[in-house]
Amino acid sequence: MSRYFAPTTAAEAAALLAEHGGARVVAGGTDLVVAARGGKHRMPEVLIAIHGATDLASLVENEDGVRLGALTSHAWIERSPLIGSHWSALADASALVGSPATRANGTLGGNLMNASPAMDTGAPLLVFEADVELLSLRGTRTVPVADLLAGAGRTTAEPDELLTSVRLPDLPPATGSAYVRLEHRRAMEIAVVGAAALVTLGDDGRVADCRVALSAAAPTCVRAREAEDLLRGLRPDGASFRDAAALATGAVQPITDVRASARYRRAMISVVVSRALAVAAARAAGTDIAVPANRNLPTVTAGSTG
Amino acid sequence: MTSLIGQKFVRGDGLEKVTGQARYTADLAFTGLLHAKFLYAERARARIVDIDITAARAMRGVHAVVTQADAPMVRYGMFVKDRTLFAHEVVRFEGEIVAAVAAETPEQAEAACAAIRVVYEDLDPILDVEEALKSSSPLVHPDWKSYQTQNGVERGPNDCGHMTSVKGDVEAGFAEADHILTETYQSDMAHAVPIEPHAVVAQWQGDKVTIWSTSQVPFPARAGVAETLQIPQSNVRLVVPHLGGGFGGKCDFHFEAHVALLARQARRPVRLVFTRREEFVATDKVRHASKIELTTGVKADGTITARRARILLNSGAYCGDALFTTEIGLMMVAGPYRVPNLHAEVHTVYTNRTPAGSVRAPGGPETCWAVEQHTDELARRVGLDPLEFRRRNLVQAGDTGQTGQRFISSSAKECLERAAEIAGWPGKDFAPGEALGIAVGWWFSLPASSGAYVKLNADGTGTIVTGAQENGSGSVMGLATLAAEELGMRPDQFSIVYQDTESGPFDLGSAGSQTTFNNGRAVIEAAGEVRTKLLRKAAEMLEAAEEDLELVDGAARVRGVPSKALPIASVAAASQTSSLLIGSGSGNPPSLPEHDLSGCGGRLGYSAFLAPSFFCHIARVRVDEETGTVSVPEVTAVHEFGRILNPLGAQGQVEGGVIQSIGMAVLEGSQYDGGRQLNPGLLGYKLITAADAPRVNVELLEDPVDHGGPHGAKAVGEPPVVGTAAAIGNAVAAAAGTRVRALPMTAERVWTALHEQEGELA
Repeated sequence: MSRYFAPTTAAEAAALLAEHGGARVVAGGTDLVVAARGGKHRMPEVLIAIHGATDLASLVENEDGVRLGALTSHAWIERSPLIGSHWSALADASALVGSPATRANGTLGGNLMNASPAMDTGAPLLVFEADVELLSLRGTRTVPVADLLAGAGRTTAEPDELLTSVRLPDLPPATGSAYVRLEHRRAMEIAVVGAAALVTLGDDGRVADCRVALSAAAPTCVRAREAEDLLRGLRPDGASFRDAAALATGAVQPITDVRASARYRRAMISVVVSRALAVAAARAAGTDIAVPANRNLPTVTAGSTG
Repeated sequence: MTSLIGQKFVRGDGLEKVTGQARYTADLAFTGLLHAKFLYAERARARIVDIDITAARAMRGVHAVVTQADAPMVRYGMFVKDRTLFAHEVVRFEGEIVAAVAAETPEQAEAACAAIRVVYEDLDPILDVEEALKSSSPLVHPDWKSYQTQNGVERGPNDCGHMTSVKGDVEAGFAEADHILTETYQSDMAHAVPIEPHAVVAQWQGDKVTIWSTSQVPFPARAGVAETLQIPQSNVRLVVPHLGGGFGGKCDFHFEAHVALLARQARRPVRLVFTRREEFVATDKVRHASKIELTTGVKADGTITARRARILLNSGAYCGDALFTTEIGLMMVAGPYRVPNLHAEVHTVYTNRTPAGSVRAPGGPETCWAVEQHTDELARRVGLDPLEFRRRNLVQAGDTGQTGQRFISSSAKECLERAAEIAGWPGKDFAPGEALGIAVGWWFSLPASSGAYVKLNADGTGTIVTGAQENGSGSVMGLATLAAEELGMRPDQFSIVYQDTESGPFDLGSAGSQTTFNNGRAVIEAAGEVRTKLLRKAAEMLEAAEEDLELVDGAARVRGVPSKALPIASVAAASQTSSLLIGSGSGNPPSLPEHDLSGCGGRLGYSAFLAPSFFCHIARVRVDEETGTVSVPEVTAVHEFGRILNPLGAQGQVEGGVIQSIGMAVLEGSQYDGGRQLNPGLLGYKLITAADAPRVNVELLEDPVDHGGPHGAKAVGEPPVVGTAAAIGNAVAAAAGTRVRALPMTAERVWTALHEQEGELA
């Protein structure tokens, strides 16, 4: 028989986690409960439901960027003018998660801690070099998202640690970002492959800085650093993006599953990276491309992925 | 008086369904209810060495554990009696039921299933249809020759039904042709996927059992229970609460007897509710995977001279009602075209996969898709626009169909022209990757006996007691309009008693688009009897002649003298002291048009199409050439349905059918690893969502028939799903410049076709 706790503060939740080994945290319940009902794993013996811990739903803005509480919902991110204008790739990603009902319940913290390689928010958080705060009775520690993700369904958080917030660092001017995924339908879908890109343009109009990350291409969401290195200093045009995309493809070993063959996935990584770079560069140059980028791709990138 | 026929009518069960008040089988509550779980083979083909249920039976909360040893040794099946309730000596597909458990909680039942020890000797599964037909192939049913069959079924070793359709001299036809084109098309297995999973509750009182079931066919399901449990049909009452869709997947007899057996052993009511995984793996009625080979001869001017066709249906482990698919698929290979010389054969092949059977328009969409892709390729071969090619070959009044039936009138061309006009064929102002694709087709109306009673109540309302089954299409709800039309009343004045074998007279169930077509005639006949009695009684009360009376606005009145009238309520009330206002009807089915089956072979259940209807779909698609992704922003669907009884209902069927078909066209298909489904769930097996649904331009044409349904109506439920995938396929080919010869036309398949064409994947 499962035991169920509903703490009202983060501290209380951390205390419960320390007390009950093997307890699992549930926020929106869109992953844990669905997977258990689908027979992927048993319902855990102890559930700690944090949706009532209001201090996990906070939003803090300061000169370092913005800190989003773990309970921040995809629906909020999707609609936030702040996120949409500054950290567009994250808004692009949250806007694609599941259905309107999933986005209303599903949280940023839950998406990260579920650690699916196909999660939509992972690649954007990697290109922002975001970090998370983990709380336990031993105190608080800060971990980059890149170090948090350890494998399919695995994180480096200790079993008694609670993810309390995600920090999005401030970005330099003339920076744009985007997340684009390949999908087979426009709702209730997970990425076949996905890519986030961040582009900062220099005064000369060339790429001053750039970051690329992939989802559903490896056991975790991963950066494609060779692609980034190639692009720095180049003109932000289709040819450069395609060359960078080819390098991104080389960085991963995609798998064959029911959604796609490895061969197709490999080819599609190149497509989504090119498209994400194109949107990010356009946004960096001040072009308004609405969220989610997936459904509003500029015509130069030939059609939509959806 | 204004007729109700052709007016928009909102179905009576809508509000309770959308507000969550409607109760479905899984919602029913019973004292002492137990929960059923099945133990499945989870392997494609094996011999059972031993089954040990001792441990399971001793577990806490477990009240019954049953296997074939607890059931009468009866082989059942609609066409071929090839199946037992539980696995007997062997298992033939992964979802074969080996044992069933009833326990106090679903978790206890599941744990007990896991505690049943079964020792198997695995055998190499038979999976490929071509291999299965070779004489060297092992047999899915080694004892096939000893099975009983329905009359006329012709079989082979791994073939539970083969048929041929022959017209003219196909070799002579090819000799006349300037071009001969041979192509092969293949479709994957697809599922019905109703929103409500299968559920059954069984409760015994003495030797009688009441079964609440999610069946589309209560009477055949009752017969299945009686046959397999060896009890009289009169001891079985089958009730269907609200049904959450079926799409054919809930036709035929399924799991009612398993649950009844558990309830009998447990001496408690038992409920089974399928999980979504079970809906994919354990249901035994999916759309066949198929292989369709077509060879057609055409003259330089586009005239079709001959066609040879061979269809192989992967029918899985058991025959079930699969021969409907075989028979109808055979009747689709010529399409609504003049094909003077034809030789077509079709085989229903046993393999160790999920049994296939009727899914909405069995044999329709996949055959129409293959034939219509082939048609566009023929048009290309002779250099004609696809629309013009069809114009030159479509059947017209006076032509004969593939089995020689003479078309009295044919709206095929009208549908084509109207659809072309609405969709703006051949299209302009295309975005990159956009194109239009066209498809035409035909479908039939199924004649069958079907019964109904009508009675008038003392308060002036009426009650229809029908054997018909409402599957969600609204067809049973629409019966009220037909009765109201006869009796000068309003549809909302009728209540309907339905879906209970103890109250309604016989009906085949919600299958073959037959409810309105057949039960509608029964209701009109029953209401007609009431009308006669009502007029007689009213004439007596009004001291007028019967023939001077009319029934209008809920009153019987003297024609031309509106003041001389009686409310129907008072006539009905008065009749309670004399002869009651009740009637019955059995809607005698019209006979098939004349046809000629010389040279044909096998059980040809659809040897001619009664009251055939025609349609044309035109799809606008957008192909993303970099990814192969196909989106469908717009579909134009023009259908002729004889007489439109309720435009709202007919439009709903067409819109729903088109949207359902887009899934079949681009997404839906089971993937297999040997004998195991790889995507038995709603994430892996993708239906399209509301966000993907196109704009659907529906136009309904009328061409009433004398030998048809009520007021000249034809079947509506199935035709809308037949043509959409075909139109999308042709649009994809036009947009991509290459053809995908596999259904569904997934992004990866389109991408592969695009890149193979460019030689990149050689």
